[in-house]
Formats: sequence, C-alpha cells, structure tokens
Amino acid sequence: MIRLEKVSYSYPDGTPALENINLAIKKGEFIAIIGKNGSGKSTLALHLNGLLKPQKGKVIIRGMDTRDISKLPGIRKLVGIVFQNPETQFVGRTVEEDLAFGPENLCLPPVEIRKCVDMALAETGFEKYRYRSPKTLSGGQGQFVALAGILAMRPECLVFDEVTSMLDPDSGTDVLERIRKLQRKGKTVVYITHNLEELHAADRIIVMDKGRIVLEGDPESVFADPSLQSLGLTLPSLIELAARLKTCGVAIPWEKTSSPHSFAEEICQLFLKT
Amino acid sequence: MPIILENVSFSYSKKTPLETSALRNINLRIEKGEFVGILGEKGAGKSTLLKLFNGLLNPETGTVRVDGLNTSSREAKRRIGMVFQQAADQLFCRTVYDEIAFGPLNFGYSRKEAEERVLEALEAVYLDQTMLHRNPFSLSGGEMQRVALASALALRPDYLVLDEPITGLDPVGKKEILETLKKVKDEGTAVIAVTHNLKGFFPLLEKIVLIREGKIAFQGTKEDYLKTGCVPLPPITSLMRELKERGLPVNPAVFTVEDALQEILRVRSVIEKESTSNTGK
Repeated sequence: MIRLEKVSYSYPDGTPALENINLAIKKGEFIAIIGKNGSGKSTLALHLNGLLKPQKGKVIIRGMDTRDISKLPGIRKLVGIVFQNPETQFVGRTVEEDLAFGPENLCLPPVEIRKCVDMALAETGFEKYRYRSPKTLSGGQGQFVALAGILAMRPECLVFDEVTSMLDPDSGTDVLERIRKLQRKGKTVVYITHNLEELHAADRIIVMDKGRIVLEGDPESVFADPSLQSLGLTLPSLIELAARLKTCGVAIPWEKTSSPHSFAEEICQLFLKT
Repeated sequence: MPIILENVSFSYSKKTPLETSALRNINLRIEKGEFVGILGEKGAGKSTLLKLFNGLLNPETGTVRVDGLNTSSREAKRRIGMVFQQAADQLFCRTVYDEIAFGPLNFGYSRKEAEERVLEALEAVYLDQTMLHRNPFSLSGGEMQRVALASALALRPDYLVLDEPITGLDPVGKKEILETLKKVKDEGTAVIAVTHNLKGFFPLLEKIVLIREGKIAFQGTKEDYLKTGCVPLPPITSLMRELKERGLPVNPAVFTVEDALQEILRVRSVIEKESTSNTGK
C-alpha cells in the first residue's frame, strides 16, 4: 500500500533526518516504528501523506507519488496522521466542528459529514464533549479528540505519532484496543512510540537510529536482539523479566508475556504443578 | 512548612453554560522533601490541581497555602518551580541562556548569580553548554523539556511541580531526568509529579495521590496504596500482585525487574524445598 524507495531527507539547517530508507507497508499491516529522540521517526511519518516530500528517492501511496501535487488530495484521503501534541491540530471552535473539518475538506456532502462526525464521537465515547471547545479539554482528552478527528475522515491507513504519551495507562490501553480493532477491520496502521510496552501485538517493528532503519522484524525477534540496548531502547518490563527468568531456567513462552495476567498464570502453572 | 489545600473546589467557565467542575473538596498536604506522584485518568483534574499550587488558578472555595503564604504572593511563586505538560508553552526567550536566566533575574538576583544558576541547572538536566546560544524553539521536544525543567530548577525551588515531565523522552532521556529528580529530592526539594509513566516513576515515589472525577480517591504512602488494591500499577507490580492473589508467597511491593526476578526465584526455591521435604516423608 505504501512504498518508500531510497528516501533521504535533510532539514533546512542541514541536519540529515532520513537516509536511504526503503520500506514497504502492506495493506492491513500493524507496523510499529521505534527509536530514540531524533532518530527520524516523526520525519518518516510526515512523508507518509506528503506533508514532507523526499529530497531523494520517492514515496508511493497506492501508485500515487507524493511529489505529484495533483495526487495529494487522494493521498490525504487514504492516509491520516495523528500527532503527538493534539493542540497543534485543533481547528474547530467546538469538538464537533473540529471533527467535521476533515470530512468537509474532503468535499463530502453535509449528510455524510454529519454521519462521519457522529460515528467518530460514538467510537471514542465522546458524545458529551460535542459542544465543548477542544482547548478546554485536558491533555489526554485532547489526544482522544485528535484521534476521533482522523477517524472521522475514515482513512485506510492511520499513522499515529506517540498518541498515548499523555494518556493514563487505562486510556492508553483503550486507544490501543481501538487501533487494533481498526486494523482487524482491514485498516493499515503505522504506530510510532517510545513505549515498547505497547508493541506486543504489532506485526512488524522497525527500529530507527540516526535516520536509518537498523533493525526490522516481528516483536519477538526484535525484542530478543541484543543491539536494542545499545540503541538506547529499553525492553518492556515483562519481556525483560521473561528474558532474565529464562537464563535462570524458567521459560515463559512469548505469547504469555503480553500481560501481567497471562504471565502470572504461566508462572503459577510452572511452580505449582506438583 | 508544607503546601496545604483545605476544602478546595474549582470549576472552569463558572456561571456559563459551559461550567465544568474540575475539583471538589480537596484536602491535601505536601511536605518539603517528599516525592509525590499524582495519578488519575484523563480529565480527572490532575493538571488543574497543579495550577492551584502556584496561583495560576485560584480556588473557588477553600484555601491553598504554601508555607503559610498566599499563592498569589511573590515569595510563594518563587518557592514553587513549575514545568508544564507542553514544554513549548512555557518557553519564550530567544536563547536557552536567557530562558533559564529569566527566573533568577526576574526575582532580582545579580547577573553573576543568575549565570551560576544557569550553568548549574543546565548540568542538572544533562545538556551541554553549546546549547546555551541556541533558540529554544529550534530544539527537539526532548531538549525543550529539559530546558523547561532547567528554568524551573534555576529558581532553586522548595517545591518542584511537574506535569508529565518525561513524556516524549526516549528511554535514556527518561532515565537521566528521573535521576535528576531523585537528586533534587535528596537535596530537600519536594517533587510533585503528575505522571502516567508508572514504570519509571514508581520506584521513586514515596507518596501517592489518586484523583478520580475531581475528588481524591486515595492519598497516602506508596506501601498503603499497594495494600488498598488500587490501580493503576506498573506492569511488574501488577504481575507480583497477581502472583500473590494466585497463592504464591511473594511480596507484591516490587517495582523493578531486578527485584521481581529475585523475588520469583526466591519463591521457586521455597516451593522446591517444600516439595522435596514432602516427598521425603
């Protein structure tokens, strides 16, 4: 669905942000991008719907080149981005208006716009905030509304740039659940995060460092890679615990490390079987 | 002397159709030198609470006192260093140096004293001196966050109030800032942090305040918090609590992977010993 070919990008002050990135994202895939601050994750995200254009190489979204201005409306309809700081993306005076902005921009008829907004409010459970100004919401609520704003546009591919950073753990899990549900319905998900705890369910993890892709694979193999530490990333605590228990003769299968609940279940089975 | 909140309530957009009650009947006491975590769901009222500490918001009912002072007094404001959720919101100077020096100069310290404090604060947040001449708005999110923290530290506050101080930082950055906070706390400053990062903060916290729908649902020591069965908990602590509930004799008050490992291995050897002694009979 999305293909990056030899993409390089430097910011105006000369800082190279991406160097020779090759990446293919399949339809319906849940792909996670991780890496430390300044590794180029967000710059990559901005390339996925043409907000930034590659200086070398090309980005192709379902056959459309992001450098072709006439294709941009089509590309933006396909790929929606949710940013880290919700305040940077509010445009409406009320939550409802904010949600209507995207679909209206896509030139949908009013009846359709109404439907999109209602659906987005229902999906996020935010009906009661319909007439509130997005600026009066708390940080976490704001992130929810920003998410709803993208949902209202019904894109086929969703890009999330650290969207759970301001959310309490429960809301974070809730957002992830919703994202997974979208993915099961066939949406493509690109998920950028520092929080490796969230990545158990990803199909594929891309690790970036200094503008390059340095590691790629399914979560189990990426988390088992010894170079992860030297890239400045720390393992989810349960996965780290499982790895250390293994060296002490307690083997916890990968799929049981996804939650404290399943982890505890497995340990009890191992220890209390006699 | 502590920060004391008595019967504090606060609503936004008072006397308009948009009136929303954010906090109700809050009684809270924060002592100097404590490390306090403020937890709660989105929209619970955590950030509102922080803004009451330094007089950015005034309570609708009740009183807020900082060391016995009214929060609108200049001295009370000096004693409280504040770092907001969005670091960019609180930066306004043209260079990092001016940004960090602004507080001390504003409170009348000499240029020389201000410079000393700038360098000290910069070091505390792990930034090097080449940063001083850069424009704060050209920095990455993580660097901005450090500058915002440095400008609060430059006032050498008695209470350091932080709203989500380590979001947006990578794991190495998180670790560095947490170390700084621990050091600040050890030097006698109270650190009060709204946070969702339980994995990082939990080992450091001494006291926990849990806010639910504008009210305090729990306040007390971390140990008592664990006993009440409250959530949220960091994943490691959740795991230990589950193990205990399932009948393994573990101590659930564990916050790091290392301690969890030792505790699980200890329990394993206890169980093995029991089973061999049983078969021995």
